[in-house]
Formats: sequence, C-alpha cells, structure tokens
Amino acid sequence: MPLSRETNIVSGSEFLAAQDRSRGEALLEFTGVSKWYGPVIAVNDVSLRLAPGITGLVGPNGAGKSTMIKLMTGQLRPSLGQVRICGRHAWSAAAKSHIGYCPDVDAFYEDMSGRTFVRTIARLHGFAGGDLSRRVEEVLEQVGMADRAERPLGSYSKGMRQRIKLAQALVHDPDLLVLDEPLNGVDPLGRTELVNVFVALAAAGKAIVLSSHILDEMDQLAQRVAFLCRGHILAAGSLPEIREMLADHPLHVRVSTDRPRELAVRLFGVDCVQSVQLENERELLFQVQRPKEFFRVLAETVAEAGFQVDRVQATDTSAEAIFDYVMQTARHL
Amino acid sequence: MPRHHAQSSLLTTFRGGVHLAALSAWRMLRSRQTLVNALLLAFALLAAGAWSMRHERTAAQFVQEIFLPLYVSFFLPIFSLCYASAGVAGERQDQTLVYLLATPLPRLVIYLAKYLAALVLVSAWNLAGFAALGRLGGAAGWESFQRFWPAVALSSLAYTSLFHVFSVLLHRATIVSLGYALILEAFLGNMPGIIKRLAISYYTQCLVFDAGKNLGLGPAGGRDPALFLPISGDLAQFVLICVSGTLFLVGLWAFCRREYV
Repeated sequence: MPLSRETNIVSGSEFLAAQDRSRGEALLEFTGVSKWYGPVIAVNDVSLRLAPGITGLVGPNGAGKSTMIKLMTGQLRPSLGQVRICGRHAWSAAAKSHIGYCPDVDAFYEDMSGRTFVRTIARLHGFAGGDLSRRVEEVLEQVGMADRAERPLGSYSKGMRQRIKLAQALVHDPDLLVLDEPLNGVDPLGRTELVNVFVALAAAGKAIVLSSHILDEMDQLAQRVAFLCRGHILAAGSLPEIREMLADHPLHVRVSTDRPRELAVRLFGVDCVQSVQLENERELLFQVQRPKEFFRVLAETVAEAGFQVDRVQATDTSAEAIFDYVMQTARHL
Repeated sequence: MPRHHAQSSLLTTFRGGVHLAALSAWRMLRSRQTLVNALLLAFALLAAGAWSMRHERTAAQFVQEIFLPLYVSFFLPIFSLCYASAGVAGERQDQTLVYLLATPLPRLVIYLAKYLAALVLVSAWNLAGFAALGRLGGAAGWESFQRFWPAVALSSLAYTSLFHVFSVLLHRATIVSLGYALILEAFLGNMPGIIKRLAISYYTQCLVFDAGKNLGLGPAGGRDPALFLPISGDLAQFVLICVSGTLFLVGLWAFCRREYV
C-alpha cells in the first residue's frame, strides 16, 4: 500500500506542521537534514517546520528522536541540510537564546540547591542583579518548585529534578522548549503535575517539542505528532488527522444505540463497512474503511430512521494504535 | 512576561563568561583534585622539610636536589593536570556540559572561561606550592623561589594549555594526562639527546639553568651539558610561549567544532 504525499502521510521527508511566523521565519525548520555517525544513518532527509503548541516526536528506541533533538538544540551539526531556529543556524550561539533545552540526562551540579542551579544557568544567560532574582523566582513558581528549591539537588525526587531541569530551560523565556523524554522515570502523580505544566506553557504561547517512546504520553499531551522510525518521519500531524489519512486501514467504531440490529442491517450494505458485530443488546462494533465516509453515512442513517445513539467511539485512535498502523504501512513501502 | 533577549549583547556574553570562569574555578577548587593535590604537596613539603633539616645548603643544591628532580619533573605536571585536564572533560563525565552548550554563550567564550579558570588555579597552586617548598627549604629554598618563579609560571601556562587540549579532545583526559606526565615528562624529559625537547620540563629546566647561571647551576645528576644540550633562557621562554599559544588555539578550534554526544 503506497503512502503518498497527497495524503500527507509522508515517507520520511516532509512534515509541514506550521505556518511561518509573522516575520516569515519558521521557529524551527529542518531542510533536507541527514545525520550519520560513520556508516549509520541516524536521521535521513528530514524536512519540517514547527508551530506553537506541543509537538511530539515518537518512535521506538533508535528511531532518531534523540539525534533530532540534539540537532535542533545545536548539540550536533547536520551531515547534510540545515537546521534553523528563527532563521539562525541551530549550532550558532544566537539561535540558543530562542531555545530552552531540557536534556534527558539526569545530571546536575549535585552539590547545589535547585534554586542555586537555576540561578547559575540564569547567570550564564547573562542575567544579573534584580532581574536575575526576579526571573529565577518566576520560573521556580511556574514549575511549582518555589517552596522546595532550597534543598540540595541530590535529595530531590525524580519529578522534582525534572521540574528543576524545566525551570533552567525556561529561565531565559525561550520561544521554543525542547524536552527530551521529560516524563521518563517520573511517578504517576509527578507525571500528571508535569503534564499540567507543559499544557500551561503551551497555552501561554510556547512551542514545545517533546520526545518520548511512551505513546500514551502523546495522547494526553501532543497537539501534533511526528512518528519516527529508522531516521525517517513516517507520518506527521494531529492524531485524528493521521488516523484519517490512513484511509485504507480499517477503523473500529463502537456504536451504542437503542436498535442495534436494525442499524447493523442498514449500514452493512454501505461500501466502507467491512464488518459489523453485535457486542451486546445495545452495542455494535463496526470495522470500517474511509472513516469520514462512514461517519457521514452513519449520521444520515441515524437522522433518517430516528435511532437513539448514546455513544460513538473509535476504539483505535490512540497514538499507540496509530503508530502500529503507520509502522505496518511503512513496511509495504 | 517581559522578553529577555539581551543575551546577544556583548555585555551579557561577557557577564556570562566571567560567571562561567568563576563557577569553573570554584567547582574545581572544591573537587577531589584539590584533595589529591594537597596530599601530593604535603609529601613534597615533607621532603623539603627533611632536606632543610640537614646541614646548611646552598640555593644551587636546593635546585639540584629538590626543585628540579622533585618539583619540576614530577609535581608540577601532576598539579597542573589535576585542574587543567578536568576543565571540559570533567563536565563531560558529569554530563553537565550539555547545560553550558545550551546557553547562548559562544563556544569560544565557554572555552576561554574554562581555560582561564584552569590557568588561574594551576598557576596559583604551582606558585604557592613552590613558595611553600622554598619556605621549608630555608634561606636556600626561598632564594630559589625568588629566582625561579617565572620558570614555574611559564611552565604552568604550557601545562595548562596542553592538558586543556586533552580535556577538550578526550573523554578520559585525566588518565591520558597522567600517562603523559609520568612517561613523557618524567622519563623523556631526562633522556639524552634531542628527544627530550618534546617535554615541557626540559624547557623549564633550561629556564632555571639560565636564571641560575651565577649560582653555577647546570644539568643535574652529573650529566654532561653536552648530553643535556641546553638551550638559552630566551629561546626556552619563546618556545614555551609559542607552544602554549599554539595549544590554546588547537584546543579552541577543536572545542568550537566538536560535537559532544
């Protein structure tokens, strides 16, 4: 099954996720970027632009997520192509004032307190005097650490350490936040708190790129997702968009109605319905192709015949299910 | 929230660089390297103290028996490598270099800050150690310090530049530097022929011999000057400065280009 650019399911080269900024420069732009380490290609001919909001980089270990992150934060230089932040090469010092980077490594100057660490990074960004103290307190407040930042970093839980990493990334008020596996090893409570922080930052207008190999995280967080595998971007967009684009992959839709048998008979003759199953006395499970067409027909049928519909739910629109589909599709390329 | 985009200005870069230099020096001073250096210095001071308790000696004897074989050939490179090789490599090992590279400080400034921090610590430690050694060595020791501290200062500059390059290029810079100090400096620096000219300690010795001409100083250990092949103090000084400058530029070039992953 071919993947075509027309359907915006891309075979590793294009991900146009955003409009240009007001001055015509993309916040983050990859143009034909490849990166290899000796004979190993880590990122292969990737082009993308980024919009404000939360964008997830998803893929299995070794997919190229960390290399992408390191390229966009100027830790690595592309072997081919260009990575630009607000029009400047990501490698340059000028680009780095636009990026806040929260690395995946759990390393700090361990003898410092959380507040001293954030203060140190702020000073390296050029803050001094009253500005320095004010900004440090602002970001500690923002990540919910203002009252706990005096303790030594060595005594912090994983969640608190992640917050301090986030605070140091935010201290210079960057346009773009790059978070490498930000929820790794964080307990469920801390995870929820951090997710809330990310969502609040995105709502405040920050562009956030976060990488994860845990697909569930993307369901909660990301407004757009790029699926990576073996250095390629396999698909990109919002999860519903990507699912929609996988038109040839059957979608499972559970419909709860007062007359399930009658609805099943009416819809079984429709082209896009592959199978229908009576789950119980009120529920049907449809396997459909071309979900848009199915939902249009379903709506018309329900309206015509006056069905009472309690619930319509697509059961495989999670990031994990979609990623599985994308991977299956990619194997046919 | 107000925007903070003053980072591109020279002033904020300078301020950030100065803070990084101070932070690096403070962290190195509080590291276990200082403990190692203090233990080694205590050993050197014990040796100098024991030497001075014997009957009255001359400055030339102090130089030939304590300063050159003990301090210049062994302790000086070891003291220097403890701080200079930890500058960038220490941050890599602790995985904290990423925070520095993510700031808008140009790599040139990061390198310069790290280099200056190491240079100040190495110079201060080496000169203070030599001063303490001179004090314990009695009048002869103190006279030696007053005459030969410039040689120690220049030697510190050269060692800092060399070990800082190791620090930029190698993940395990301290181990490689230790190998260099023990094999090349202590061993090669005392070999006959011109091969010793690869060792910084050779040029330090030439500076000492030149500055101590009127004390009758010459190659130690009964070596024939014709075998030691000393060069003039001016030339030794020129070589050390050139080597330091070249190594500084090599390290800077490498640091500005290198991908640390």
